Amino acid sequence: MSSRITDAFSQDHHRCDHRLAAAESAAKDSDWARMTGAAQDLVEAMERHFEQEESSLFPALSECFPASASPIEVMCSEHAQMRHLFEDLQESVRGQDRSAYLGILETLHFLVQQHNYKEESVLYPLADRALGARAGDFAERMADV
Amino acid sequence: MAAPLFALLAALILVLEGDQILATRWSPATLATIHLLALGFLTQIMCGALFQMLPVLAGSPVARALLVGRATQILLTLGTLFLCFGLYWGHQGLLVLGGLTLAVCVLLFGWAIGAALRRARGAQYTVMAMRFALIGLFVTLALGLFLIAGLLGAESVRFARSDFARWVDLHLAWGLLGWVGVLVMGVAYQVVPMFHVTPGYPRWLMRSAVPAVVAGLLIATLAMGLGMGVWAGFGLALTGVLVFALVTLDRQHRRERPRVDATLLYWWTAMTSAMLAALLWAWGGRAEPIGVLAFVGVGIALPSGMLFKIMPFLSWFHLQYRQLSGRRFDVRIPHMHAFIPERSALIQFGLYLVSLVLLLLAAIWPELAFSVWLVRLGGLATAGAIGFLWWLQLRCSAQYRSFSRRLA
Repeated sequence: MSSRITDAFSQDHHRCDHRLAAAESAAKDSDWARMTGAAQDLVEAMERHFEQEESSLFPALSECFPASASPIEVMCSEHAQMRHLFEDLQESVRGQDRSAYLGILETLHFLVQQHNYKEESVLYPLADRALGARAGDFAERMADV
Repeated sequence: MAAPLFALLAALILVLEGDQILATRWSPATLATIHLLALGFLTQIMCGALFQMLPVLAGSPVARALLVGRATQILLTLGTLFLCFGLYWGHQGLLVLGGLTLAVCVLLFGWAIGAALRRARGAQYTVMAMRFALIGLFVTLALGLFLIAGLLGAESVRFARSDFARWVDLHLAWGLLGWVGVLVMGVAYQVVPMFHVTPGYPRWLMRSAVPAVVAGLLIATLAMGLGMGVWAGFGLALTGVLVFALVTLDRQHRRERPRVDATLLYWWTAMTSAMLAALLWAWGGRAEPIGVLAFVGVGIALPSGMLFKIMPFLSWFHLQYRQLSGRRFDVRIPHMHAFIPERSALIQFGLYLVSLVLLLLAAIWPELAFSVWLVRLGGLATAGAIGFLWWLQLRCSAQYRSFSRRLA
């Protein structure tokens, strides 16, 4: 069985993990220019990932495998939770509140980890099976982002 | 939330019976303290963690989790108290009552968790470790009951009485390595890479560490039954632990998240303590410092470190979920560090570290005139650390309730 979707999307998760770690590293010397840039990079990378899922992979999956609608809904509601944290993060950057910045990144980290675990162990393998020959297209699009 | 109270009780005995405890592992106060920590603190938290983790990691929720969880907790609490006071006062009736209550508790827990583990999918090595850990818990219980029967002078176990200390060692090894050690390994395979973004554990380790521990314990048990030496079996099991601890420290050294938080410090302490305990055993060291390293260095450390992450995250997660589903965006949910501030967690770790060092020094040099005071001070520091941990937990859950009310 192909695991192209699982591989490509999991790899993008790791790229986002690196960005989050970089945003935390940037806080070491309270250099707000660096912290602002790192936070922006992180939010952009994660939004790109959500975009690929919400407007491409998830609709295709729920169309050819309707039973996936409910787990997809859970994943999308967690995306909404993360977007709330993005707003809080940007607000902490604007207010130069270092402890809020770090606390929000920590919260985001844990939310992302448990979210990714569910996607990587359930939803992506399901997509690989259900989308069959089309899986390669989604994987390539994710890799190109 | 009840677990820290048992550790507080253990700390109280350390303060009151400082002259007895670390001088010999056989004093009633020592036996009571160890069981308060092992059952009341550690096993209670581990059982709760299994109920929480099985649905998330293995897609297999425990059937009637709330009911079984509550029943297990009540039985464990009562059984631990009966057993510990039975050991402390040498009261035979309490010992029997404690043993039987704990037996019912472990059977109920094993039945519920065992059924969920049979259905479990995914996280192959973690699920394997959980299955072996459950077997470890059963064997520890069986050996414990056997020892109680021996203490009470039952005819059928009289043959074992000459070897009493060796059977206690076997009970201890199954509990510490077979139950605690194996479960820690299985959980670590998931949480260590997740918490601090480290490389995953290598496959060779996940394939071999838990089986090495279990095989070592089986070999030691068999050797014991045949009247032979147990060093080969224990040696194999401890090698498994030693290699696991080394690999864990290496993974954490290569982590991507740069910050050193209390959870990471607790993991470092626990892994270093586990390695020191294994090496000390190999060099024929005294049991008392090995006991401090195992029960305080690992047994108090790991649950404390994990609670600092799990409690704030679950509080935040549940509140945020309710906020989204109720569309109550007028309430602002605080982030994780607001539930348990990082600084408080670091101070709590500092107190804990003082207690570990004091107790370790007292266990290494029990003949020193002031070692009694080291134990007492160590007990006080333990009480301070655990009391502070408990207060932080209470504060976190009070904050959760207050926001929960506002979202209602």
